[in-house]
Amino acid sequence: MSHLVFDAVTKTFQSRTGPIPVVEPFDLEVAKGEIVVFLGPSGCGKTTLMRMVGGLETPTTGAIRLGGAVLGKPDRRRGMVFQSYSSFPWLTVEENVAFGMRYRGDLGAAEKRDRARHFLGVVGLTEFAASYPNRISGGMRQRVAIARTLAAGSDVLLMDEPFGALDAQRREQLQVELRRILEADAKTIVFVTHDVEEAAFLADRVVVFTRRPARTLALVDVTARLGAHRDLETRDSRAFFELRSELLHLVRSTAEDT
Amino acid sequence: MAGIGARVPVAGIVFGAALVALWEGAARSGLVAPLFLPPPSVVLATLVEMATSRDLLYHAGVSTARVWTAFLIAAMMAVPIGILMGSYKLAGRSLEPTIDFIRYLPVPALVPLAIIWFGVGEETKIFLLWMGTFFQLVLLVADDVRRVPHEYGELAATLGAPKARALADVTLPAMLPTLWDNMRVTLGWCWSYVIVAEIVAADSGLGFVIWQARRYFKTPEVMAGVIAIGIIGLLTDQILRALHARLFPYLTR
Ligand SMILES: Nc1ncnc2c1ncn2[C@@H]1O[C@H](COP(=O)(O)OP(=O)(O)O)[C@@H](O)[C@H]1O
Ligand SMILES: [Mg+2]
Repeated sequence: MSHLVFDAVTKTFQSRTGPIPVVEPFDLEVAKGEIVVFLGPSGCGKTTLMRMVGGLETPTTGAIRLGGAVLGKPDRRRGMVFQSYSSFPWLTVEENVAFGMRYRGDLGAAEKRDRARHFLGVVGLTEFAASYPNRISGGMRQRVAIARTLAAGSDVLLMDEPFGALDAQRREQLQVELRRILEADAKTIVFVTHDVEEAAFLADRVVVFTRRPARTLALVDVTARLGAHRDLETRDSRAFFELRSELLHLVRSTAEDT
Repeated sequence: MAGIGARVPVAGIVFGAALVALWEGAARSGLVAPLFLPPPSVVLATLVEMATSRDLLYHAGVSTARVWTAFLIAAMMAVPIGILMGSYKLAGRSLEPTIDFIRYLPVPALVPLAIIWFGVGEETKIFLLWMGTFFQLVLLVADDVRRVPHEYGELAATLGAPKARALADVTLPAMLPTLWDNMRVTLGWCWSYVIVAEIVAADSGLGFVIWQARRYFKTPEVMAGVIAIGIIGLLTDQILRALHARLFPYLTR
C-alpha cells in the first residue's frame, strides 16, 4: 500500500539570472514503514525534494500525497531531522524531546513526560536527560532529534544528512541504531545522503539522482538483496560489497559526465 | 562560576595602579596646576565627602532612575517591534529606512527640540534617552532575529507550531543571549545621553552636579562626578554580565 506518493513533482527556483530547474518530474511511491534513501551528488536537489515533503517548499508542479491527501503547509505528520541546529540549545535533552509534543492537545502533561522518557530510553539517552545539548556529543544530539520526532508521533521522518557531521565510527553506530529503532517502531523514512555506504546500509530502496536538475538515474531495491535486518555484519557481506560498488558507479557516472 | 575578581586580570590592576600613581606624582610635583589636574587622592576624598555629607547619592539615584525608566520603555517597545521587523519581511522593509534615518540623528542635536516640545521637566530627559536607545535597539533586535538559524523555526513548524507561537517559543529564546548583550551595551549609551540631557536641562542628576562644579572651577568635584558615573556603569555592567552566565547556563560547556 502506498503511503507517501510523489506525483510528477517538479521544482524550479526563480533567480535574477532566470529560472533554475532543480527537480525534474519525480515520481515515487513509498510504502508505509519503508526507508527510502535519496542518494546523489551535492547540489543536485535532494534537500529541495525533501523540504517539499516537509511543506517547507512548495512544488512548482505536481503534488505530494500522504495517505491520499495532498500535502501543504508543515505539520506534525512529517518530522524533520536536520544535520545542524537539530536541537534547541536552551532546552535540556529531555525538554528537547518533550518539545516534539508541545503543540499536541491530545496528550496530558503526565503522558507527555512519560513519552519523552520512553523515547529517551529508545535512543539510549536516559542518563543525559538533564544535560544541555552543547554538553553532549554530536551523535547524541542527533539521537535527541530522532527521539523528538518519534515523540511527536510523526508518520514520516525526513532526515537530511543527519549524520553528515559525525566521524565515520559514530556514523556507523547511529546507522545501526536507527535501523534497530525502526525495527521496533516502523516509520516511513526519507533519508538524504551523498554517502554511498550509508545509503546501502540504511535503505529499503535507494533513489540515485543525476546532477541538477535532479532526475531519477536508478531505483535500487536494497531489501531484496540484503534482507530487512541489518547489523554490523551486513557491512562485511558480499551482497553489501557488490551493492555499494554498484551505487558508487552510478554516482560517479553522473558526477563525471560534463 | 567566575566572579568579578576572577575576570579582572592581575596585569590590568597593575597597569591601572601605575597610572593612578603617575597621576598622583604629576599632580603633587607641581608640574601641572591643581586646577587642571588635582591628585587622585584629593578626588577620592572629595568623592567620599560628596557621597557621605552631601547629596551625591541622591543625584546618582536621580540619574539612575532616568536611565532605567527610559531604557525600559525603549526596550519594551524595541523587543516586540524588532521581532516583528525581523520575522515579517513587510514590517522590516517598511520600517527600516525611517528608523535607520532617525538612528543617525545625534541626541545632543535634539536637545533644543526636546525642550521646545516638553520644557525642561522629566519628559525631556526620558524623551532624549528614549530617542538615543529605542531606534538603535530595535534594529539590533531585528538583526538578532534574522540571525536565528532558520532551522529552528522550521523545526517548530514541522512540530505543528503556529507562527506566532514559534516566535515566542523558539525565536525569542534563541536570540535571548545576544539580546541581553545588546541591551547591556545600549544601557551604557543611555548613561552618555543622560549626562548630556542633565547638563543642558536639569537641576538634579550627576550631569547637573558636574556642570555646577565646573561653574565654580571645582575640578575635584567635576572629576568625582565623572568617576561616580564610571563606577555605576562598571557595577551595572558586571552585574548584567554575571546574570548572563546565570540566565544562560547552556552556553557554557
Ligand atoms: N531557495 C532557493 N533559491 C534558489 N536556488 C536554490 C534554493 N534552494 C536551493 N537552491 C538551489 O537548488 C540546488 C539544489 O539544492 P539542494 O536541494 O540543497 O541540493 P542537495 O541537497 O542535493 O545538495 C542548488 O543548486 C541550490 O543552489
Ligand atoms: Mg542538501
